[in-house]
Amino acid sequence: MSITQETLKMHLKDPAIFCCRREKGLVISAADLEDPSLFDDMVDAGLLTLSDEGLTIEQVLGATLLCDVEALTPITRSVLDKVNEIEKESPKKESAVTAPTEKAIKTVTGGNGMLHIEIGHAEKLEGLSIDVPLFSGTPALDAAPAVEDEKKTTGDKKVIRTLKKQHIKIKDVEIGTETSIKDGKITIDGSIVEKAILEDELCKSMKLDVIHPNERHQYTETIMDVCPIATKVEGELGSGITKVADGVVFMLTGVDEDGVQVHEFGSSEGYLDEKMYFGHPGCADENDIIIRCHVVIQRLSGMTRPGPFSAHKCQDYVIQAVRNELKKYDGEIVREEICEDVRRPGNPRVVLVKEIMGQGAMHDNVICPTEPCGILGGQKNVDCGNVPIILTPNQVRDGSIHALTCIGPATKEMTRHYIREPLVEGLAADSEMDLVGVVFVGSPQVNDEKLWVSERLGSLLESLDIDGCIITTEGFGNNHIDFIQHIGQAGKRGIPVVGVSFCAYQGQLVVGNEYATAMVEENMDKGGFENNVAGCSCVTKEVAARAIQMLKNKMAGVEIAPAPKKWNNDVINANNKLLCLPETVLLDNGTLH
Amino acid sequence: MRLTTLEGMQSEIFVPVTPPPVFTELKKPLSECKVAFITAGGIHKKSQTPFNTSGDFSYRTIEFDTPSSELMVTHGGFDNSDINKDVNAMFPIDRLHELVEEGFIGSLSNETYTFMGGGGNVEKFKNETGPEIARKLKEQGVDIVLCTGGCGTCHRSATIVTRCCEAEGMSCVVIAALPPIARRQGAPRITAPHVPIGSNAGEPNNKPMQTAIIKESLEWVRDCPSYNQMKVLPYEYRHNV
Repeated sequence: MSITQETLKMHLKDPAIFCCRREKGLVISAADLEDPSLFDDMVDAGLLTLSDEGLTIEQVLGATLLCDVEALTPITRSVLDKVNEIEKESPKKESAVTAPTEKAIKTVTGGNGMLHIEIGHAEKLEGLSIDVPLFSGTPALDAAPAVEDEKKTTGDKKVIRTLKKQHIKIKDVEIGTETSIKDGKITIDGSIVEKAILEDELCKSMKLDVIHPNERHQYTETIMDVCPIATKVEGELGSGITKVADGVVFMLTGVDEDGVQVHEFGSSEGYLDEKMYFGHPGCADENDIIIRCHVVIQRLSGMTRPGPFSAHKCQDYVIQAVRNELKKYDGEIVREEICEDVRRPGNPRVVLVKEIMGQGAMHDNVICPTEPCGILGGQKNVDCGNVPIILTPNQVRDGSIHALTCIGPATKEMTRHYIREPLVEGLAADSEMDLVGVVFVGSPQVNDEKLWVSERLGSLLESLDIDGCIITTEGFGNNHIDFIQHIGQAGKRGIPVVGVSFCAYQGQLVVGNEYATAMVEENMDKGGFENNVAGCSCVTKEVAARAIQMLKNKMAGVEIAPAPKKWNNDVINANNKLLCLPETVLLDNGTLH
Repeated sequence: MRLTTLEGMQSEIFVPVTPPPVFTELKKPLSECKVAFITAGGIHKKSQTPFNTSGDFSYRTIEFDTPSSELMVTHGGFDNSDINKDVNAMFPIDRLHELVEEGFIGSLSNETYTFMGGGGNVEKFKNETGPEIARKLKEQGVDIVLCTGGCGTCHRSATIVTRCCEAEGMSCVVIAALPPIARRQGAPRITAPHVPIGSNAGEPNNKPMQTAIIKESLEWVRDCPSYNQMKVLPYEYRHNV
């Protein structure tokens, strides 16, 4: 099958392949070439093997064949008299482009009583300009040029509320006989575990110990969560003052009474230094002291909703005791972080949509607890029917999400992730956009419910009247149905959308649609697998920067080239390079490929 | 509105295309057919090595005369409590024996093969596990292969293996809790009861529902007009997690 001139134009940069056998002396034209959109199927069916030496369509047009070439063979330099040298585009230039505020069709009511319609770019009507009488017989009209008003808004920053996060330096932690914070040292009463496990009957026992930065090479049971110690001292979640203990985090690990790891899709038990991606948003940082809270829950309750929840709930009892001390503690404030909920009217309105797990049994989250990153007072998204819930950026940054995390260790977003989510930080700080809010939407277990929830999200996006959105998901697999559906809900409403997920090799998308054209990969595993390293393949600063740039491109109509047919880390690094970001170095964890 | 744009960016994630059709028409009445049931839902005998929950392309051999009480699940992709209650919710072995007795189907193969498709390695399933299962089923003279998905990536693995069976000349259907995946990945035929992942073959201990889902899936193998067509089954079960 040969191709038309129009198909040709769309595929100039695709491989040039003869559709049928062609003989020596032929001057190559569209009629000789196979349609590149069929190549995937042909490769899958074993009919075609693409080669690195193959030329592109634009390189071969007009060239003369020096020998006979079979159908479905890549055309290479050696069989042609010449190759069109295509000038390498210089894509490196960063340009501040003013997005087209001029609409294709512009109507202006002027003083001459005529309605002037000018159509800028319509195929058959190019340059058409019509004047139509506006009111017959009333030429002098009080023509208020309302259309011009929008130009006055310039994205001036309007602060709605401020949250002050006071980071208090913690230098050491020990398990002792009384819970206190003195001189930068947290002491936790060792006997508190006896009271903590009374919080939930499914929690059978608990053990606390402290892991200093130089003690990382030790065995750990599966990492269920990493949770900061933060507490409100003034105001509610998202405003007022929050104290955050700096240099220390809780790490929850768990097994059941039979010793079965409380894990979901893949487990992270092993040597701690090999099982956590230190420094990633959801993880402990290199120099953090880790308070390990290890729980044993009732046998066979690990893969149900109440079992893992009991572990989080009992740990929270311990954290609350430390929070209470932190409230009173007048220690050194090493950093004061001012978070603002701001609006920038006139800038493009955007939302961040975070798809979170909602299938139950560790696929769940507690939303808006009373204390930052806490449990009490919050609602679980599964119990809320997984419907979209909108939070302000400050609420997210003040620990509105306690993750009852699940999925694979590498691709789950743990509690600490949300309190310092790079996309929330990036979008909130971006003076070119107006971040309207952060939407959390659960991923239900049943297909019908996935579609139902996604439709609710679509209506929400429409009514928020946004100009663009970024949609992320943790995990991979069934939740990619919702993820793609969400992208479709935005896309079909004409809202520019960027998708962010771990896909790579193991998590490659299982579904897709025509709107998933600006996608950002989170993978950091060499084989492209869920590698069981907690927090490895999540939203990082670099992922966030690429996603935000793609969104700006999409909103301004600047092209984003289609993804190659297979996961390729070079594409990610090419984008990193354009943005002057460090290279995405993949972790070699021996995953198969 | 002023936005800093950057030329030359490329999308980083590929969106899948549905693979080429594969379809084997059923040419016998159901009552004369030899049926096999495979599953990607992580079912195995209690005496066998459990699957690796973060991705495993090996399979287990299950003789069809294995009592259902000797089967269990190892799967990290969904709440296991339904299968713990009744393994027929994923792998309806008891219902299949009843259908043979009833004369609805001719017979069952001597043995079948189960795997844990979650996070399944696509190339391994496509080139090794899938063809091997298909060959072993074909050697037993199987006419129809029924398959349950399990979790999200399980549906992908299930569909890959089912396509291998179809290509070997057996008529297959994926009973899908997540039909969009089965469709996109190119399942030859799909039935879609309204069930959660983890109880793909129907509510635990609900015999009439499980039987109806299998019967109508078998009828869809017979009646489905062409490749990748889906039939929604009117059975609904909500798992109250």
